[in-house]
Amino acid sequence: MNSNQLTFVHDNETVVIDFARSAFQPSTTVLNYLRSLPNHSGTKEGCAEGDCGACTVVLADLNQYNQLVYRAVDSCLLFLASIHGKQLITVENLAEKSQATTDLHPVQQAIIDHHASQCGFCTPGVAMSLFGLYKSENTVDSNTAKHSLSGNLCRCTGYLPITEAAVQCCQHRQEDHFSKEEPRVIAMLQSIRKEKKTRIFSTEQQLYALPFSLDEALELRKKYPDARLVNGATDTAIKQNKTYTYLPQIIDISAVDELRFVSRNADGWLVGSGLCIEDFSLFMGAHFPGLGPMLRVFASKQIRHVASIGGNVCTASPIGDLIPIFIALGARFKISTVMTERWMTATDFITGYRSNALTAKELLTEIFIPDPQPGTLFFTEKVSERRELDIATLSLTASIKLSSEGYVTDIMLVYGGMAARVKRALNTERFLLGNRWNADAVAQASACIDQDFSPISDARASAAYRLQVARNLLFKCLTQTTSNTINLSDEA
Amino acid sequence: MKPDNNIPHESARAHCTGKAQYVADYLCGPGDLVGRVFYSPHPHARILNYDLSEALSIAGVADILEHSRIPGANQLNPLAGDEPCLAVDTVQCIGQAMFLIAAQSPEAAYAAARAIKVEYERFEPILTIDEAMAKGNRLAPARQISSGKPEEAMLTATHRIKGNLFTGGQEHWYLETQSAVCVPGEQDSMTIYASSQNPTETQLVVAGVLGWEAHQVVCQVKRMGGGFGGKETQANHVAAWAALLANATAKPVKLVLFRDDDQRLTGKRHPFQSTYEIGFDNQGMIQAYIADMNGDAGMATDLSMAILERALFHADNAYFIPNIRLTATMWKTNKPSNTAFRGFGGPQGMAVIENAIDAVARFLGKDAAEIRYRNFYGGGQRQFTPYGQAVHNNRLYPLWDKLQAMSNYTTRRTEINAFNSANAFIKRGMALCPVKFGISFTTAFLNQAGALVHLYKDGSVMVNHGGTEMGQGLHTKIRQIAAAALGLPTHKVRLSDTDTSRVPNTSPTAASSGTDLNGMAVKNAIDTLKARLTPLALSMLEVKEDAGVEPSLVFQDGHVFVAGLPDRYVTFSELVKQAHRAQLSLSATGFYCTPGLGFDKEEGRGNPFHYYAFGMAVAEVETDMLTGRSRLLRVDIVHDAGDSINPAIDKGQVIGGFVQGLGWCTSETLRYSSEGQLLNCSPDTYKIPGIGDIPDDFRVQLLSGAPNESVIHNSKAVGEPPFMLAFAAWLAIKDAISAVGRHRHEPAFGLPANCELVVREADKLRELTNKPAIS
Repeated sequence: MNSNQLTFVHDNETVVIDFARSAFQPSTTVLNYLRSLPNHSGTKEGCAEGDCGACTVVLADLNQYNQLVYRAVDSCLLFLASIHGKQLITVENLAEKSQATTDLHPVQQAIIDHHASQCGFCTPGVAMSLFGLYKSENTVDSNTAKHSLSGNLCRCTGYLPITEAAVQCCQHRQEDHFSKEEPRVIAMLQSIRKEKKTRIFSTEQQLYALPFSLDEALELRKKYPDARLVNGATDTAIKQNKTYTYLPQIIDISAVDELRFVSRNADGWLVGSGLCIEDFSLFMGAHFPGLGPMLRVFASKQIRHVASIGGNVCTASPIGDLIPIFIALGARFKISTVMTERWMTATDFITGYRSNALTAKELLTEIFIPDPQPGTLFFTEKVSERRELDIATLSLTASIKLSSEGYVTDIMLVYGGMAARVKRALNTERFLLGNRWNADAVAQASACIDQDFSPISDARASAAYRLQVARNLLFKCLTQTTSNTINLSDEA
Repeated sequence: MKPDNNIPHESARAHCTGKAQYVADYLCGPGDLVGRVFYSPHPHARILNYDLSEALSIAGVADILEHSRIPGANQLNPLAGDEPCLAVDTVQCIGQAMFLIAAQSPEAAYAAARAIKVEYERFEPILTIDEAMAKGNRLAPARQISSGKPEEAMLTATHRIKGNLFTGGQEHWYLETQSAVCVPGEQDSMTIYASSQNPTETQLVVAGVLGWEAHQVVCQVKRMGGGFGGKETQANHVAAWAALLANATAKPVKLVLFRDDDQRLTGKRHPFQSTYEIGFDNQGMIQAYIADMNGDAGMATDLSMAILERALFHADNAYFIPNIRLTATMWKTNKPSNTAFRGFGGPQGMAVIENAIDAVARFLGKDAAEIRYRNFYGGGQRQFTPYGQAVHNNRLYPLWDKLQAMSNYTTRRTEINAFNSANAFIKRGMALCPVKFGISFTTAFLNQAGALVHLYKDGSVMVNHGGTEMGQGLHTKIRQIAAAALGLPTHKVRLSDTDTSRVPNTSPTAASSGTDLNGMAVKNAIDTLKARLTPLALSMLEVKEDAGVEPSLVFQDGHVFVAGLPDRYVTFSELVKQAHRAQLSLSATGFYCTPGLGFDKEEGRGNPFHYYAFGMAVAEVETDMLTGRSRLLRVDIVHDAGDSINPAIDKGQVIGGFVQGLGWCTSETLRYSSEGQLLNCSPDTYKIPGIGDIPDDFRVQLLSGAPNESVIHNSKAVGEPPFMLAFAAWLAIKDAISAVGRHRHEPAFGLPANCELVVREADKLRELTNKPAIS
């Protein structure tokens, strides 16, 4: 197989794109690729930044047991080269076509039966999210349906009929034509994946490396130190969409299976940096339930399916959802090159506004999450204008240890959105340390927030709001980490 | 025959299989070009000079147009004449079009836009209503409606409260951005595939900029991916730009606005800054109401004056007010011209009185729903609006009765009070809000529609009409109406794309009137055809015409027969086949205009509306006063859609309208920099409701047994009115905030009630309440 050939399954056929003879760039988005094909305009562009879901497609990928796993993703943020060895399922594929008839997929029939389309522009994306949900093993009620569809905006229906359609069709799942085709698709994907050597897709404008092993990834990092490193590429793709410019060099580590793992050692958990947010969220829900809420509202299902924890951390955004969690957990990051490896704390890893401690040849490979000391209280709250599919206006993640007498012996208050980087409220922490963990102390401590932060006003909120809510979140943290409910109206 | 109810949207299957085509889906051929607009980065500036040469030299760039290359009139609004298609000397807002680029790829077009060099002399912009008012920058003289003796009655009122309210703008956020494909034809002609609510105006504006006559331009609209008013006038802009480029390059040009550009350069719902004074007695009966409403028109007229008028007509909402003075003014600012948006000024007018009634209730220590009920329009003198139209067929009382029972209002009020005394930071609030909305274009002549119906030889039917499909289900309802009129199953009837060469001189699909007007026009066309077929049918049925008695024909289940004699029939398809052989014309036009409308703008008196639509909602929220986040626990709605032609579609409008209104009332905040730059110009920062924001418990019913006579099948317009039902949620948030101060203080309120407002006002009330009481 020519290393410049991208191979995937679409429309039940193996598709080969040879970048030496193609109008596409390796980082052309799957959305733009699809829309350039005849009869594939069903996938829509609504925003080109992963915020509306009109472009949702489903990727079916082989898991370690050689089973197909179906996941809804935003095709506007999906680089074409990243779907190598996967099955791309688009809205045109949902219905089962025979020579005489077209039988709608149950998710499509449910959309019709429940009047869940009006203008229809979001509908293909909704259908694909529904299909992803249909093919998952989750039990579906109206809450899980809403959660799974949080990445699909609709301006017409008010969502109620969409929710009803989701619940109805997923509560009556049956074998569909995809199930029947699976053996054939699995064989096609296995055949593509036999070749395990790094693929270098190149055009005049762009070099795009897709390694399959960590060693190869590190070698590439050494060979192309200026290349943009991506995994889910959900951040990089937005920039490409908004500036119509293709990066000259990209290393895509999304095919490195070695970076997707969770394991234990004596002192804690080791998590591969390539784990996608959705999988990490399941892990955290099981082992750190106190930190679950933050992950539940991380972007949307479509983005959680591809975005990696390493990517979220390395972006080093002041409003990145994972950084505060890792800081509060005292996590340490393993940073590797071909020859070396070093460990550093999550706090030290973030060096400034959207900058991290990685040097050109390095890769964040593993994250170690130490077991918290018994009795540690965790709290996290992401404050955003909209519950889901929104970026934090600000957030607080806290870990607190109390003595048996109720005094604070250890405290970390990690705020997002309050400074150029994720930052601890050190003055506030200092005030609380050694104090009782109660309303009086918190009320006094909240005054320290103003010394800790001078936030900015921006498109999301004013500085005044950020400061006020940063103070308020201490009260939320208190009420949620103690059984005491504080009632201000009783104090008056 | 009554229409077949609850059939799915006629495009539902196409929607969910991806087959439904939108403008951006028109596949380009090899030589086709993409268009891009270069727009002003400054809110107010003079263009000193510019240089296109570098941009023109970029590979793949076909042409770049400046204003001097416009062959016709440089004007997008021929009526008001204040909106140049391309800027000449000055720019009046960020987003004003300056140059048009045609290129072989979006990449080349983008590169060209980056390479255009312009030197500006920047002026101080006017960015807010307050600034415009301070500088006297009126768009037009103020409008007024009054009745009774407002000033006198205010002086003698038992109690008086003054207040003000700001209601913010709203981005339409149709899923499909503004787009047009223009294909030049032979002999100076042009076909436009538009995403426009107003194909006739799109046709005329394009003809205008090209310096052509209307017959040279055909505008076709298959469907829109949402419109909501945003494509009533401003779709014309994109079409004009694409047409100019297509004309200049003699190639098809596709121009699809990138989302961020769409948000930056198109107009929005008008923000309003209003002040009011309300006088009332001890029972909360309104004695006098004086309101002054000020709208932000943006840089040009667009539809602002009609929107202002509708704000005036709805400032009373559902309440009889004996003494009233309403003044409204539109102000010019250096922002993109604001435009139509579902409700069309109505919501802005209504919000003020709803907020005022809340203040009255709080002042009197009564439940606001009770005050609302007391002031509802009624009989006798209490049926007249401030402009003198009687509120006939008032549905407020049946809606109230039904909603009280359905929502269990009184019991829940007690539960909410108990919850609030047990929780400091989380408060619950509940509110009831009625909606009365006038149906008709207030510009009376627009209330007309045309249709063209073809019967084909095989008995199938093609219906053309002037309305456009934007998701609201118009084509579905028209198909039901046509099928019912001809006694055919719906699959025998197909709707064509809206096309200015088939049905000319149409009004925009707006003002919720699509089905009322076009449905009637289609029915009239079909009545003409049926009349034409009748003599033939009677002869086929071998019915002897008795002297003086015209036997009436029934079209039902594909059969045509004499009333009462269903067993002796001819099939519809056989009748049509024979009609063709008998050389009868099987095509007919239909026309309809709403009777009895008239309004004297000078006097502020008349009947601007054909009828009123009504609805009522109760919403309960739970608000976190620490973060400002609200969650809708439950919403109950009863809405009046007359005898619904398609209850599923109508409920869809109610639910969808409510949620869109919810966005305006809560999370959709337009934020601008001090230089007038829209900060949230993508969905990353501009937050329309998501699926997680709808009520946990969402109950919606249509009012039954409420036929709306004189409208097609006794139905009622339903597009806009439900938008304002979301005030129930907005006022419930106010009620929750108010609970922080134990309902003793009136919270300063505004719209949207976003997290920021909630936190700020809750904090103020907490401080007030925690202060020691002064006795």
